[in-house]
Amino acid sequence: MNNIDALKELLYKMADDQLIIGHRNSEWNGLGPILEEDIAFSSMAQDKMGQSEHLYNLLNQLGEADADTVAFTRNAPQFHCSHLVELPIGGYDFSLIRHFLFDFAEYLRFEALKTSAYQPLAQVAKKFFGEVKYHTMHANTWVYQLGHGNEESNGKMQESLNFAWDYALGMFEPGPAEEMLINENIFIGEEALQAKWLEVVIPLLEKSNLVIPEKSSWAPIYGGRTGNHTAHLQPLLSEMTEVYSIDPSADW
Amino acid sequence: MALEDKKRIESLDPRISRAHLSGGNHEDMTGLLHFQTYEVFHQNKRGAQHKHVGIVHAPNSDMALLYAKEQYARREQTANIWVAPSSCISATEYADDDIFTTTPEKLYRNPATYKVMDRIQAFKERGMTPSDEV
Amino acid sequence: MYGNAYIDPNEKFSSEEETPELLAAFQARIDAGDKIEPQDWMPAMYRKQLIRMIEQHAHSEIIGSLPEGTWITRAPGFRRKLALMAKVQDEVGHAQLLYSAAETLGKSREDMMNDLITGKSKYSNIFNYPALTWADSAVIAWLVDAGAIVNQLANSKGSYGPYCRALERICYEESFHLKYGHDNVVHLATGTKKQREMVQAAMTRWWTPLMHFFGPSDKASVHSDTLMRWKVKMASNDAMRQQFMDMYIPKIWDLGLTLPDPLLKKNTETGLWDYTEPDWEEFKRVINGDGPCNAERLAVRRMAEENGRWVARAINNEEAEHVRPFA
Repeated sequence: MNNIDALKELLYKMADDQLIIGHRNSEWNGLGPILEEDIAFSSMAQDKMGQSEHLYNLLNQLGEADADTVAFTRNAPQFHCSHLVELPIGGYDFSLIRHFLFDFAEYLRFEALKTSAYQPLAQVAKKFFGEVKYHTMHANTWVYQLGHGNEESNGKMQESLNFAWDYALGMFEPGPAEEMLINENIFIGEEALQAKWLEVVIPLLEKSNLVIPEKSSWAPIYGGRTGNHTAHLQPLLSEMTEVYSIDPSADW
Repeated sequence: MALEDKKRIESLDPRISRAHLSGGNHEDMTGLLHFQTYEVFHQNKRGAQHKHVGIVHAPNSDMALLYAKEQYARREQTANIWVAPSSCISATEYADDDIFTTTPEKLYRNPATYKVMDRIQAFKERGMTPSDEV
Repeated sequence: MYGNAYIDPNEKFSSEEETPELLAAFQARIDAGDKIEPQDWMPAMYRKQLIRMIEQHAHSEIIGSLPEGTWITRAPGFRRKLALMAKVQDEVGHAQLLYSAAETLGKSREDMMNDLITGKSKYSNIFNYPALTWADSAVIAWLVDAGAIVNQLANSKGSYGPYCRALERICYEESFHLKYGHDNVVHLATGTKKQREMVQAAMTRWWTPLMHFFGPSDKASVHSDTLMRWKVKMASNDAMRQQFMDMYIPKIWDLGLTLPDPLLKKNTETGLWDYTEPDWEEFKRVINGDGPCNAERLAVRRMAEENGRWVARAINNEEAEHVRPFA
């Protein structure tokens, strides 16, 4: 694997994660639990979608197809997203917990990438850092308040956290060229990112009156980065591309 | 059962289909909670005044700020936002707006009413002589 | 304790009777082009009609997000997907602004939402029709929004301050909706054979609901005269329909699309459009609940509120003081 392939692998997994979680979160548009929250959640879904488009554009500059083709014509085995983002939206508790776990990871990933030796990626990280920062503020405010809300809300959040935890650890599945990316100062690597993430999310979850699953039970769910996905991804893609695939060569 | 089936909603929207909804329920939804309201003040850039732009419903000020950003700053350039519970706002009565009626007439506060040039001109034309020595 | 309403429905907003003097002063303010603000004295009928109108408008926004929302997970390509998400988001946002304006008149958002879900109050009939294909969502975005803008621009010159302020923001935000819808229809109409067929079929389907959109001809009545004089109602249904036809039929024909009305033409003598009266019996039937999507629309809104219950219960501050917002 050369530099370019390693870089593409990094960009693909980030972009695919953003596209799929953006798509999932857009499922709440117009159906959200509180009018104002509906508006906020839609903004964040749009942000994610927009970020993924930017990363696909970087891939395009590296010789990959254009953003629409890449996003709307691949099948599940060609996707590099983590299982966490593929899961159905569930109840609002699960959608919020996923949003929390994912967005803190993305925030820290972007923070690290701001100083990436690969300038185009560093620029994207700087440009969208504010967006992701708001996403973490939103996520943390909600998790804190529902964690402390009442027995019902704490119970739902705890249950969703327990369910999501191993999937969230799966976000940090090591890539095939971690060392190359680290040595070239392109990215700090998944292991270092996961360590930073744990340092941040554990105290916040505890402050939110939630219990982190026992460490001995942690079992990261890998596979997404290499094209092995849950049964949820292909139906999502088929739905997403339903109109586009009527005629992929048409101008929509 | 037959009645239930009849009420089952078939939607064109895949999101709705997944929710397996039934229709025909016209019961009141009592006990809905949309929270109290916060007044939102928006500043478009540093140095500008904050302007009142509307309200959001929220259970507390943290949430109100999250929502004010999205409802009132998702299009506009923004530097800062304030929120305050609507219950904390006091206002004058429109019925008493006659307390303001004579304000525009108080011309001594209007810089445009201070016209000295004519006087200086006349002073110069008469050789700058004091008024009582002309 | 919060009893789900800012005010007792039987509360008199003003201790003063509607004397001829008060009514004349009220009318004089409106005639002078002044806006009425929430704290002003106003006739009970003015308040009642405004609540009804603004509330229905708010319901139309929140329900109106659903037909287009049908295609939110299937929009083709980034540009369309992002624009559609932003548009649906705006509609929810506009509902929020309009509910806020109605709240200043004394009806709580909870009560308005309940009246929507139980079918006690109405919303724009057009949203009871399905968006069968992607092209339907394009036609809605262009022409339903165009109709809404004709209506909203007229109403933004009305007499009630908070409603005018909300409409100003809404019209500004919606200017992109119309452009997005037109762009979308133009792409389909100038695209492949299949795309053209889709958009023609959608245009044909939506024509009757669009003709229904502004409502039947208003009959002159004391009631509607009063509302016009109070600047609650700003233009007749027929005038708005004609304005809409004038602006958009040429643009539709320009794309080589046809409309399913053989009588449709601009009458050079009257300067008005001739058209076949749409089936007003169908209009009445649908508005009274028997349309293709009425049950679904209300069930979806009920679901959203049901989904929000545990969330709201958990974070609600019971001590909070609820007041009518000022503006």
